[in-house]
Amino acid sequence: MFFKNTYNELLKIAYKPRSYIGIGGITIIFSLILFALKLDGQFYISIITGQFEQSLSFEGNILNGNLIAFIILQMLIIHVPLLIAFVTGDMISGESAMGTIRLLATKPISRSNILLSKFLASCVYTLIVIICLIIMSLVLGKLLFGNGDLIVLKSEGLIVFQEQDIIWRFFYGFLIAFLSLVTVATLSLTLSCFSENSIGPIVSTMGIILLFTIIGTLEVPVFDNIKPFLFTTHMAAWRYFFDDPLSISQIIYSIAILVAHILFLLCVALYKFNKKDILS
Amino acid sequence: MTTFKKTILLLSFTLIYINSKAQQPNKILNLVYSKINKANNYSVDVNIKVDLPFIKMLPINAKIYFKQKDKFKVDSKSIAIVPKQGFVQLTKLINDTNAFTAMYQSSESINGNKISLINVIPLSDTGDVVLGKLWVDEKQQVIIKSQITSKQNGTILTTYEYGKYIDFGLPDVMVFEVDIKKFKIPKAVAADINTTQKKEAEKVGKKGKIIIKLTNYLVNKGISDYVFTK
Amino acid sequence: MDNNFKIVEVNGLVKNYGNFCAVKNVSFDVYRGDVFGFLGPNGAGKSTTLRTILSLIRPSSGVIKLFNKDLHTHRNFILSKIGCIVEKPDFYKYLSAEKNLEIFARISGISVNKKKIHEVIEFVGLKGREKHKLSGFSHGMKQRLGIAQTLIHNPELIILDEPTTGLDPQGIIDIRNLILQLKNEQGKTVVLSSHILSEIELIANRMIIINKGETVVQGNVAHLLSSQELIVSFTIDNVEEAKKILYKSQFANQIESFSATTILFHTSKQSIPQINKLLCDYNILISSIETKRKLEDYFLKLITN
Repeated sequence: MFFKNTYNELLKIAYKPRSYIGIGGITIIFSLILFALKLDGQFYISIITGQFEQSLSFEGNILNGNLIAFIILQMLIIHVPLLIAFVTGDMISGESAMGTIRLLATKPISRSNILLSKFLASCVYTLIVIICLIIMSLVLGKLLFGNGDLIVLKSEGLIVFQEQDIIWRFFYGFLIAFLSLVTVATLSLTLSCFSENSIGPIVSTMGIILLFTIIGTLEVPVFDNIKPFLFTTHMAAWRYFFDDPLSISQIIYSIAILVAHILFLLCVALYKFNKKDILS
Repeated sequence: MTTFKKTILLLSFTLIYINSKAQQPNKILNLVYSKINKANNYSVDVNIKVDLPFIKMLPINAKIYFKQKDKFKVDSKSIAIVPKQGFVQLTKLINDTNAFTAMYQSSESINGNKISLINVIPLSDTGDVVLGKLWVDEKQQVIIKSQITSKQNGTILTTYEYGKYIDFGLPDVMVFEVDIKKFKIPKAVAADINTTQKKEAEKVGKKGKIIIKLTNYLVNKGISDYVFTK
Repeated sequence: MDNNFKIVEVNGLVKNYGNFCAVKNVSFDVYRGDVFGFLGPNGAGKSTTLRTILSLIRPSSGVIKLFNKDLHTHRNFILSKIGCIVEKPDFYKYLSAEKNLEIFARISGISVNKKKIHEVIEFVGLKGREKHKLSGFSHGMKQRLGIAQTLIHNPELIILDEPTTGLDPQGIIDIRNLILQLKNEQGKTVVLSSHILSEIELIANRMIIINKGETVVQGNVAHLLSSQELIVSFTIDNVEEAKKILYKSQFANQIESFSATTILFHTSKQSIPQINKLLCDYNILISSIETKRKLEDYFLKLITN
């Protein structure tokens, strides 16, 4: 029954127009970024190489598909959660608003199974969005800008990754990005259990991400103790794979924090959804 | 002429005066240049190892094309970091004896070879190079070390090791010593997460090296101009 | 089929929302083959009770058994034997009628094929609309699809919460006929709620009336509504004169109240011609005689209050 309902949930996502707003949004943002970089890419490169221009000259295809993918990922990590929450924040509350939750909850499937199948469907949707990201950033980026080594600008300096050393980094990077987006999806799904309309959970999710990001950015000692535990701090953990040497312990810590958030939020959602009186 | 150049000139004259065995620096440089000039064009495989502060990268392989007088191209599939000056600038500097003043400074013996230190000061104000110091092996007629100071690019010290192509004045190994003044970028631009700002001291004033190994020279086999424009 | 088998047993059901008690100690049974009417004004607690039976709401206390099994412990088994519409027949607007049924059929506990889906769509009179999106459906069409959805997995018990609300007169008749068809042709047990007594009277065989969360009356519809006790209203020209006559007559203890032009009796059907004759004998002009069943009268008062 769990997988049957997961299939149902995927069908609903597939037929729901709003599911395509996210993917459409990504496509538009991507096209704009690619267009801008095609025209003005040298400006971005000068940001990277500017520090060394006095004495060094950078040869080779710097503005390549890998750098484009990296830039886009860096930029989109702010927007993609919104697009994910747009669909996952509607999973329960949308059914409440539409009234279909009454029918769903009177079918011989436990509420836990309903929620978990919605969670699984959210994960699949998130994965599809990530795959779209990969196709548009890496594939399209490489088609338009060619292949090449990747220069990553860090506050300690530049790291140049060789072409053959990049794909696995992107693979694991995308996996971590997937995990962080699943955290966002779970957050909005959980908030969705508390609401009867879909706007509430979407706005709340973004509000929480914004608040946590601000706390994470503020250089105030009071927040130093909680920063490592905020999931937003680890939403950019995919970048750890673009570090040399790899900080395995930091990667594991980030994964642990994200998984802990997912599990905690799922427990809250399960408790709430099981206890909930359906009055809509 | 700038005050700086005047000071350098004065210093050089003083040194020349002190040196009783004054040499003919222009002659030495002419010999060096004519040797270099033997290679009208060449291509060479290079292995570039960057050992610079604030930059982490693995050694890469590239190909360098050169054609007289100043056509120069690094063809690399990988990203190659090379010193801004070092390849062309040196030959450009010494190719016209009327464009600079060369002064013999001293001579020393390294590994049994007589090495002359010659200062090269461009006469024109408009050029980028302010001062060139060349350590020349008189016997082999090759530069074994150079220090070029330019307006825009600071000072770069280069040492050269020669092998099979010494007859063309083409080195097998070049080691550039580069001065990276400072490194500071806005936090917002950096692809960092949770990296607490390192102490500023770590980020200021460090020297680094770029080691370029040159192999498989193809000298005077003819290179199309297209190579330099693509 | 054993018609004494209790399909639904509700005992001492209580539901509190904070300090507000929505359902107070309601108990009733529904037997196999019943069309059981759940009657009450808006806010009486009908929906809350039905939602509790369907496990949409957790009861504060009380025992609910369906098919002789406890709802709490055998929820999925019980729900697989129930088809329901709660309040409004809401579906996924962006899906077609067929896709909606397919989705609900998939999780109904049995495997349902396209043929069965088309059968139920035809049964509720929506043939030709299978591929149409729900966003273009009228309320009546949605209600029909709602009934199709309740039937898709061939349940034993059908629960319909106010199925005729918002329908036009023809729609009401159609739904009523569909329910009777389900009972008579397919032998389904139906529980339906309504705030219209006549609707229940027309289709239900047993019923319960609740008000403010409490049971008012329950039993056999025929027995409760065809009761001999009637409220009879005589509109006459001289109430004072009639008062004197009636207080001396055998009907004195049946007088309920007086107004300026009417006298209300709490009496039986047989007494009406006798009262009529008595008043006529004393030349009191009668302009109308209206009868109401006592329960109907009571229910109307509940509604108007």
